Parts: sequence; C-alpha cells; structure tokens
Amino acid sequence: MPDQAPMPEFSSSVKLKYVKLGYQYLVNHFLSFLLIPIMAIVAVELLRMGPEEILNVWNSLEFDLVQVLCSSFFVIFISTVYFMSKPRTIYLVDYSCYKPPVTCRVPFATFMEHSRLILKDKPKSVEFQMRILERSGLGEETCLPPAIHYIPPTPTMDAARSEAQMVIFTAMDDLFEKTGLKPKDVDILIVNCSLFSPTPSLSAMVINKYKLRSNIKSFNLSGMGCSAGLISVDLARDLLQVHPNSNAIIVSTEIITPNYYQGNERAMLLPNCLFRMGAAAILMSNRRSDRWRAKYKLSHLVRTHRGADDKSFFCVYEQEDREGHVGINLSKDLMAIAGEALKANITTIGPLVLPASEQLLFLLSLIGRKIFNPKLKPYIPDFKLAFEHFCIHAGGRAVIDELQKNLQLSGEHVEASRMTLHRFGNTSSSSLWYELSYIEAKGRMRRGDRVWQIAFGSGFKCNSAVWKCNRTIKTPKDGPWSDCIDRYPVFIPEVVKL
Amino acid sequence: MGRVQEEGSGPVHGFRLSTVSSSRPTETGTTHEPTGLDLAMKLHYIKVVYIYSAETARDLTVMSVKAPLFPVFDQISWITGRLRRHESGRPYIKCNDCGTRFVESHCDLTVDEWLRVPDRSVDESLVYHQPVGPDMAFSPLIYLQMTRFSCGGLALGLSWAHIMGDPLSLSHVFNLWARAFAGEKIYSHKTSELERVFQNPNSTGAKPESIKRVDPVGDLWVTPSNSKMTTFSFNLTVKDIKSKFPANGDDVFEILIGVIWKCIAKVRGGSDPVTITVIRPDPNGLKPRAVRNSQVISSVHVGFSVAEASLEEIVKSIGEASDERSKIDEIVDDVSDFIVYGANLTFVDLSEVDFYEAKVLGKSPESVYCNVQGIGDGGAVVVSPGVVVDERVATVTLPGDDIEKVKCEMDKCGLITVLVK
Repeated sequence: MPDQAPMPEFSSSVKLKYVKLGYQYLVNHFLSFLLIPIMAIVAVELLRMGPEEILNVWNSLEFDLVQVLCSSFFVIFISTVYFMSKPRTIYLVDYSCYKPPVTCRVPFATFMEHSRLILKDKPKSVEFQMRILERSGLGEETCLPPAIHYIPPTPTMDAARSEAQMVIFTAMDDLFEKTGLKPKDVDILIVNCSLFSPTPSLSAMVINKYKLRSNIKSFNLSGMGCSAGLISVDLARDLLQVHPNSNAIIVSTEIITPNYYQGNERAMLLPNCLFRMGAAAILMSNRRSDRWRAKYKLSHLVRTHRGADDKSFFCVYEQEDREGHVGINLSKDLMAIAGEALKANITTIGPLVLPASEQLLFLLSLIGRKIFNPKLKPYIPDFKLAFEHFCIHAGGRAVIDELQKNLQLSGEHVEASRMTLHRFGNTSSSSLWYELSYIEAKGRMRRGDRVWQIAFGSGFKCNSAVWKCNRTIKTPKDGPWSDCIDRYPVFIPEVVKL
Repeated sequence: MGRVQEEGSGPVHGFRLSTVSSSRPTETGTTHEPTGLDLAMKLHYIKVVYIYSAETARDLTVMSVKAPLFPVFDQISWITGRLRRHESGRPYIKCNDCGTRFVESHCDLTVDEWLRVPDRSVDESLVYHQPVGPDMAFSPLIYLQMTRFSCGGLALGLSWAHIMGDPLSLSHVFNLWARAFAGEKIYSHKTSELERVFQNPNSTGAKPESIKRVDPVGDLWVTPSNSKMTTFSFNLTVKDIKSKFPANGDDVFEILIGVIWKCIAKVRGGSDPVTITVIRPDPNGLKPRAVRNSQVISSVHVGFSVAEASLEEIVKSIGEASDERSKIDEIVDDVSDFIVYGANLTFVDLSEVDFYEAKVLGKSPESVYCNVQGIGDGGAVVVSPGVVVDERVATVTLPGDDIEKVKCEMDKCGLITVLVK
C-alpha cells in the first residue's frame, strides 16, 4: 500500500536516530557508566559491614607521622608539577573587523563595465569574468580600495600604503577602544599580509603610528596566503607560553591595491573577481585577570602543510604572464587539493576534538576497510558533535560547497561563511573573523560553545583553530554587521543574472 | 557637433576616469521607464559647468567631491543605471547601480585667466562628454568632470543625458550634492509614473511642429547633422535689453527671441525660419522638485517674413505659442528617433533656473555655463542666468557657415557690443 510505504521508512529512521543517540551517550560517558556499578558494590559492602566494623578497619591501619607527612608532600609535589607544566590558557580577549566605507563599494555592474573598458581587446576574458562573477556568491556591497576604482587602476606604492593605513589603523583604533588597552601595554605584535610587504614593514608602520614600546616583540608574516591568520594565532600562542603575563595583538589583512592583475590570462583574472578589502585586529592574552572578560579560549590549533607534494605546491602560484603582468595563477585542481589537505588536517584534529563514540566508529570502519573489505565507504566522523559553530574560510563559493559536502554540514552551519562571502567578498586571512562576528551578531554564541575555524592557503596549507566560548556574547551594537545583520541570511541564487 | 574631449589638446589635460555609485544597493529587477517626452529627448545631452574660485575650492579633494554624491544617488538611484531595450525596442533604464563616470583633469590657467574670455563657450572643454552607445548597456548617462585650475580653483562640468530629465532636474541634483557637501541630510521625492505624464486637454490633433523624426541612429545616440555646429556665447543685462529694445513688453526672453530670430532670418535670407520652438519651465511648476522632463515645449509659427517684420509683431506672435507636450508624447513611438532641439530654431529659457544655489562653503559659483549637445541643424539659443540677478548669458549654436554672419547682424542691431573675432 502506497500510504504505508513511507511510514516504515520514517519510523525506521527515527528508530535509527535513537539507536545512534543511545550509542553516543553510552560510549562518551563510558567511564561514568563503569563507575556506577563500582560505587554500587562499595555502597552495598559498606552497608553490609556496619559502622563498628568500619571503625575497626580504620583503627587497624597504623599511620605514622612520617608516613603521613611524606605522602602528603608527595601529593602536593605531584600537583605542583602538574599545574606548572600545564600549558597556559590562551584567551582571545576581543577582536575588531574593518568595515569599509560606502565610497569603496563596487556593484557588479560597475565591476563588469570597468572590466570591459580595461580589457576592451579581449572580449573572451571579459566574458569569463562575467561568468565568474555571476556564480561567485558575492553580493553588491563588497568593496575595493580607491586606487582600483580608476580606469585603468592606478596601483602605486603610495596608494598601497594608504590602503594599508586605512584598514589597519581603523581596525586597531576600534580594538583599542573596545578593550580599553593602552598602546604602551602591547607586548607582542604580529601583522600578517601576504602580498604587500614594504620596507619598513607593516608591523613597523603600526609601531610608528601608535608609539608602541621599544622592547615590543614584533613580527611581520608575508607570503603565507589566506591561512596566515591562523599561523599568526599559532605564533602568538607559542610566544604567550614563553612570556608570562603578556598580551599579543594580531593584525590580519590583505592589501588589494598592488595585486590587482592587469593582464588578461583567464586563470589569473579569477582573484580580481573575488578578493576584496578587509582587515581584522585581534587581542590575545595569557593574563589571569583577562579570563573574566575574554570572549574565547584557544583549545587547539593544528597546522597541515602539503608543500612536499609538487601538485599542491604549484596549485596557487604567483607568476608573470606572457606580457609581463604579475598575477596569481590558480590551478584547475585546486578543489581536489583542498580536499586532500582538509583530510590530512582532519586526521590530526579528529582525535583531539571528536567524542569517543565517533572515534570508535572511525577506528572500526578503518579496521574494517583495511582488514575485511577495502571497498567499504570510509566513515566520515560527524563533526557536528564536536562543534557548535563552523567558520570556513570564505575563499569562494566552491570551497564552501566542497567543505559542506565533505563534512556533511547543514545550511545553517555554513551560513556564516556564505554570508561573509556575500557581504564582504574574499577578504583572505581576515575572513574567519568576519564570520565569527556574524555568528555573534546573530546572537548564537553561548558560553561553552566550540568554534572550528578552517583556513586554506597557498603552499598548500590547511590550518584549523578550535576556540571555546568563554562567556555568552550579547549581540554587539557596533561591528561590521551592525547595520545589515537584519537583512541576513539572504538567499544567494546559483547564478545572478547581470 | 560640439567639442569632444581629447587627451592633451588644449590647456585641459591629464584625464583620470573612475566611477561613483550609490551607497545602498538597489533591489534587483528595478527599472525606470521613460515617458514619450523623455524618449523625444534621447539624442540630446545637457552640459553645465560650475566654476568655483580658488578661495572656495582650494581645500576640496577628489574624495570630498565624490563622497557627497553617494547620498544623492541613494535618493535618486535610477540615474546611475544603464539603458537597455525591451523586446519592442523601447529603451528603458535598468537600475543596476552602475554609477556615473567621474573624470579628474587639470587646467594650466588660473580661474581669473579662464573667466577673462568673454565668450564662455570655452567652458565646453571642461565637460567630458561621450554619447550613449554604441554599447548602450555600458554607457553612463552622467559624466562629471572635475578640473583643477593652477590657482586651486575648481570647475565641475556635468554631461547629462536629456532622456533622464531637463536642466531644472540637473540643477536639482547638483544642488542636492552641494547640500550633502555642506553636511545636510538630503531628501528627494520619488516621482511615480503618474507625476511624469501630464494631461493637456487642448490637444487639437495636428502634428507637433517642435519635433522632427530623423533617420534611425541605432544604439549610438548622436544627432545626425549635415553641418558642423559651432557655439558662441555672450553676456547681456536685462536693463540693457529693455533700454535698447523698448516697448516690447516686460518679458526679456521674448524680446531676445525676437531680436535673435530677426538676425538669423536676415542671414538665412530666402529660407528664413517661420517656425521656432520655445522651451520654458512649466509655470505650474510640478512640485516637488524631481528628475523628469517637465519643460513646456511650444511652437511658434508666423505667416510673415521675420526678416522684414517689426520686433513688436514678432514678440506678439511669440506670446501665442502653443504647448505641444502631449502631442509629442503621443507621436513618439518605441523605435523611431527624434530631435527637439534644432528641429527648428530653438530658444531655451533657463534664466530662472537656480544654478547659482549650488553653494560650496557658502559661496556661489563664479560662473555657470549651460548648453545642449546634439542640437539639430535648426540651431538653438540657450539663455541662462548670470552671476548677478540682472545678468543673462546667451549661448548660440548654429551651423558653422552662418555663425559669423549672425554675429555681424547681432552687432548691427546692438545686441553684442564687443564683437569677438
């Protein structure tokens, strides 16, 4: 009977859900379950013995003063060693994302018109750019720096520096105001910007502007691609382990002005369509006094580098085209390579974050595939059990689609990434912070929530950071999403007709 | 045809092009449908140049000029759109926020040196103009040229496609810019379809004379012309006109029409024009101000020879002009191309338009020049306001062959006191 056929399916899927839940609960709380029968046995035994027998057992134990002192000293010693060798908790006190001014806005139509005027001898390249833009997942409010608004663009060094000053100083001013930190109190400064590296460095520019201390530990990371934000966090973490009672400011940005590709090779025109202006400034600290006001605690940070493999190394490659214009060549295998890098990263981070139930299943499926039947589908652990929120680098629509498929995430999990791509475009290393800001702006961040930030970058690298929310975060009144969060989420069509 | 911008020719040079749009995205699928009257104007473009002194404009940067345009375009976003055609061939504007073209340039002269030339048509080189097409979908409807003079003064030249609106609309938009520059919160009324079409019950059924069909121009909206059109401009005062040509009524514009019409008729001899077009602002003033074509377009036809007639006769017949707007609206179809300015000798009265209200840092511009691009062979005379209330600027565009003779005639009748050779 046709009506009855769906019912068994539905009831069987419900049954399966409960079986899964039961299994997860059992395995994850295995030790607790073990403890219950032991406690029961001990309680039964105690009740059976009665109070006088217990007292007799207690008195028969001969306690010497020396023995007591030694054992308590031993206990204190072990606990001291444990607390001293425990890695310091690294807090993310607060962060601030740069919101570009409306005067920098680039609607689709304007971008296409400029493209036609600049590439007037290459209609095929213009056509290609239009198709990319239609399917890119970007919205009409993304921004490019002022120098790129010219026909043709005028990427002078001066213009690049002024873009850097505009984005970095605005983000840092906002961060100082939010956290009440005085510039003189900054101990560590890390600036990462992949494609613009002048002398003196951007970190020196920040030190000059804010008159930071002369014994500041400053670092400038360049050339490390879109995953450099998490590399900076890793560096800050290591430094904060070594230097007690310190804080660190990380500035993640990508300066668009000098890197706008002026040629007409199709594979190299792609970044022009996707990369947009953005920056983020983050304050991290290991001070105990910050643990009340810090937003997040850093749980894990895993870096995976696939540079040893030639294909991965060459897949995002900066080079000159036939006419001598410098641009970034993206290979066609990019998605496949990203998938492999992600698998490698997951293999390392999985055991650190996944609950025991998932790890057991994964282990069983691995054994099954190796020993019994190699054709068995590999079990993909359910990362939704390990994290409440996901921040996938908004590198492009394809990246988000690929990860959503691979990790079996729902639309809501990748909403922050998709909406950041729509509103801000691909802002490179700072995009993870815009996504985190989106989740906070939506009021979804509760105390104890775990966040997984995944970033990909040239090299080819896949870096992951796991944060634990330290306090429930109220919807911020300012921030990059404050004026538009009510319009989100928006439906992004597969193809936008230009 | 008017001077087209060329890099490096003359004292104005160093063009840098960019685009300015609005701050809020327009909803996808929004369109603006032009009325018949709008389409009648599609081959014409309005050019207005505002020149500000060095004291006023010295500290204005490119960004400070661009920034107030954003709130203006937020209010009137359809003027930043681009033209498309319906399947029927009728053009419409797709509101895709594409923006206006912004051109930066430099001038080697100072503002004083530039303004010393009595023939203000030199200001034509301060307006970057490109016609719509051949790629309609990628042609901006507005060009804004910002020229920095060597003393620090500034010229802002606008090229404005007449299909969007008349010179009053242009002045309205530019005044909004000036107010946004001063930091005021601006607002512009959104005109519904109804407010842009008007009903004139006096339609007699006869064909309108002020509009002429031209050969199809396709997607390149340039007025076809048999002769090279030349422009010259001269100043005059109301007092002067009234004293030189007394007893012709109070309307200075009508007196001017009469005088100039007579001069041109004398030059053209056998084929003197018996029909002229008079374009004036609508006295019923469609309030509130918005961007639309609202000027009254009327036609004057006389049965006598203008060259021989007296000034009083001519002025009297001008007073009997008939409003042809609804007839124009009916006759314009989706695909044919028409011209209005220059279909016959055209006189445009802009003397009451508030160009000088565009104040920057409290100061009005030193000079405002106004003309129309794409005038047909009939020629046109544009009368715009001068710096002081009493002053007028007349800009005459005629076929090159006629222009010297017309100047002589004007000198003879005392209209131009100094003949510029």
